Amino acid sequence: MDDGCLGGMDAWPLCAPGLNGESVPMRDWSRDEVDVCVIGAGAAGGVVGAKLAEAGLSVVILEAGPHWSPVQDFTSDESDGRKLYWLDERITGGPDPIQLGENNSGRGVGGGTVHYSMIKMRLQPHDFQRRTIHGDLPDADMQDWPLSYEDLEPYYEEVEEALQIAGPTRYPWGRRRRRFPQREHRLNATAEVLVRGCSKLGIEVAPAPVATLSAPHGRRPPCVYRGFCNYGCSTNAKSSVLVTYIPRAIAAGAEVRADAMAARIEHDAAGRVTGVVHFCGGRTHLQRARLVVVACYAIETPRLLLNSHSARFTHGLANSSGLVGRCLMVHTGEQSFARYPERINQYKAPPGLALTEDFNREISGADFISGYTIECVGPHVGHYAAQMASNRRVWGARLRETMLDYNHVAAFGIVGDVLPQRTNRVELHASEVDGYGLPIPHVTFGYHENDRRMVRHATEVMRRIHAAAGGTDIWTSERTAHLMGACRMGTDPANSVVDRDGRAFDVPNLFICDGSVFPSAGAGNPSLTIQAVAARTADRIIEMARNGELTRALGRSGA
Amino acid sequence: MAPRYPGFDVLAKWSSADFDDPTREVVRRRVEEVPPLRFFTVEEAATLQAAADCIVPQEDRAAGERIPIVPWIDQKLARDERDGFRDERLPPQREMWCQALAGLDQAAEALHAAPFAKLGPSERDALVNRLAGGEMPGEIWATLPAKLFFKQLLQLVVRTYYAHPTAWSEVGYNGPSAIRGHVRIWAGGVDPWEAQEAGKPRHG
Repeated sequence: MDDGCLGGMDAWPLCAPGLNGESVPMRDWSRDEVDVCVIGAGAAGGVVGAKLAEAGLSVVILEAGPHWSPVQDFTSDESDGRKLYWLDERITGGPDPIQLGENNSGRGVGGGTVHYSMIKMRLQPHDFQRRTIHGDLPDADMQDWPLSYEDLEPYYEEVEEALQIAGPTRYPWGRRRRRFPQREHRLNATAEVLVRGCSKLGIEVAPAPVATLSAPHGRRPPCVYRGFCNYGCSTNAKSSVLVTYIPRAIAAGAEVRADAMAARIEHDAAGRVTGVVHFCGGRTHLQRARLVVVACYAIETPRLLLNSHSARFTHGLANSSGLVGRCLMVHTGEQSFARYPERINQYKAPPGLALTEDFNREISGADFISGYTIECVGPHVGHYAAQMASNRRVWGARLRETMLDYNHVAAFGIVGDVLPQRTNRVELHASEVDGYGLPIPHVTFGYHENDRRMVRHATEVMRRIHAAAGGTDIWTSERTAHLMGACRMGTDPANSVVDRDGRAFDVPNLFICDGSVFPSAGAGNPSLTIQAVAARTADRIIEMARNGELTRALGRSGA
Repeated sequence: MAPRYPGFDVLAKWSSADFDDPTREVVRRRVEEVPPLRFFTVEEAATLQAAADCIVPQEDRAAGERIPIVPWIDQKLARDERDGFRDERLPPQREMWCQALAGLDQAAEALHAAPFAKLGPSERDALVNRLAGGEMPGEIWATLPAKLFFKQLLQLVVRTYYAHPTAWSEVGYNGPSAIRGHVRIWAGGVDPWEAQEAGKPRHG
């Protein structure tokens, strides 16, 4: 931060919550045409907003939910943590309707990173070339990424450094890599169980790279192993976007406008976007902007583009390919539970402190092509009870009796690569609207046969690991984790929505930047890749702004 | 059911470093401010109470000691707090709950000529099992998918029960963990302020 910026801060009229309950001065850009309006203050929006503001661009970040104050708003209570989710209704259907609104959603500044399990995995080189490797598969829409591992590697390093990822000194999978900025955490009981079971079976296992501090960093203390990571970190040890990129964005002069729900993106007669209509404080505003970045994740991003249809873009903005909303992917997220003689107390420490990527590759002899990661999980008591009751079909007198074993249960889950299919999609519901009168999303999803085979394999491997570790009474719960796709990036405007820079093929000053640009899902937690792609998109926007490319695209003579 | 964690009471740690002010406020409201009925009729509430009793029986506790379930479901519906998604086969939640509770009575009347809340324990349990299996008599269930409703009923009742400090103490869940966090996070490790299990040496 230079002196000029500090001097300017005295005059900044708005306030945002700081890390420790204080107020931080913030700029007001509501009456100006800004360089960039970012929609969504989550994993990607925070990264883009901070980097563009630090490059000297004027930036507004719109966020539908509140601006959290970690020490005042985050509690040690599971049910209270539901406020961190996007709970507006979406209609789900198809052969395997997806549950939305909990782990795969986020609302409020920081988005899903406020409640994520913060496992920060890179994709592996083969993940970027699924079509090259496997060719076309029946009923799937395989596509390579227009980016390579080498393209993203410097951005992986950049984000790992910014978030101070704590990881093992030697990570056994993928390319040789730079050391993690912080030392790995001590394993909790569930992680010890995974290590024990994998070691007996000859499966490689390692401490997970996680975005919570193992040593002090700046004003933020190391993790105290509260274990409420999925309900908001009140100590600021967790490297959410709320406590990392957002403060950087605000300090660099960005405005983070919370409780501002985007309704539609406006464009001019030439088909260039001009600003974002949003609801804020009971009123409708137009934030004028020279460039718009949509970062609302895989349901709300396509919804906003489809809701921005016009006489010129009758099927929605940036949708000449017809692919806005299509090729939506989840990760299979089956979890496997077992009872152990010793106390596990799975509510303690970050939930995912160890993992194995041994199955994140082509598995010889398998009847499927995808990979998966096995990770530790640690559901708190309400979430565990609900999963246990519905998956084991336990209720009545047996329920409370069975629940007495809660402290002796350890659980693993998978992050399984699901194939893209055009029929899995986000549309606008034909009749239902939300509280703002905006058509709500209608989400259709069904697994590919390949996905089901992978789940069967993974479920059996998890069972074997539990058994080898001494676990008994093993059971599995069905679930999904994460969302990817629905506005994929590619090289051909006919079969993708944005190019490798996240720029819409149809609209030169519109960018999409979040998990929706993934052409394939990969078999790891996606947040690090979402943020690495965001960091790269930001650099490309800065470059285009500096070399006049954006001004030319806008048809203007000078900035 | 013999207590697994005798003497453990999460609320006894109210003034300890496991609680901070925002958490105390959330837990206090849950314990002290049980909301009055605003959405369901008295009859609907009785039907739901009977169904909740089948899912999480609490007859071992005196009436005033039981963990309230119906008031919190009622509040969710009174405020129309949604869940982020709705299966396309289901109507909006208020409609679904009213239909389903009427459907429980309809099925009870068809099988036993009495409303659900007036059935004996074994008849109620059998009907809840039919609901879980999607085999409900009555015209409401011809259009309302019983299995889908049951999953929501089950999960909501169970979550509500295990959101209460009394249930936390019962299963030895540490409850809040503000500020202090945990030290003995390894297998077998038990911090002195965590629940101590009956018949096990202290601190694991």
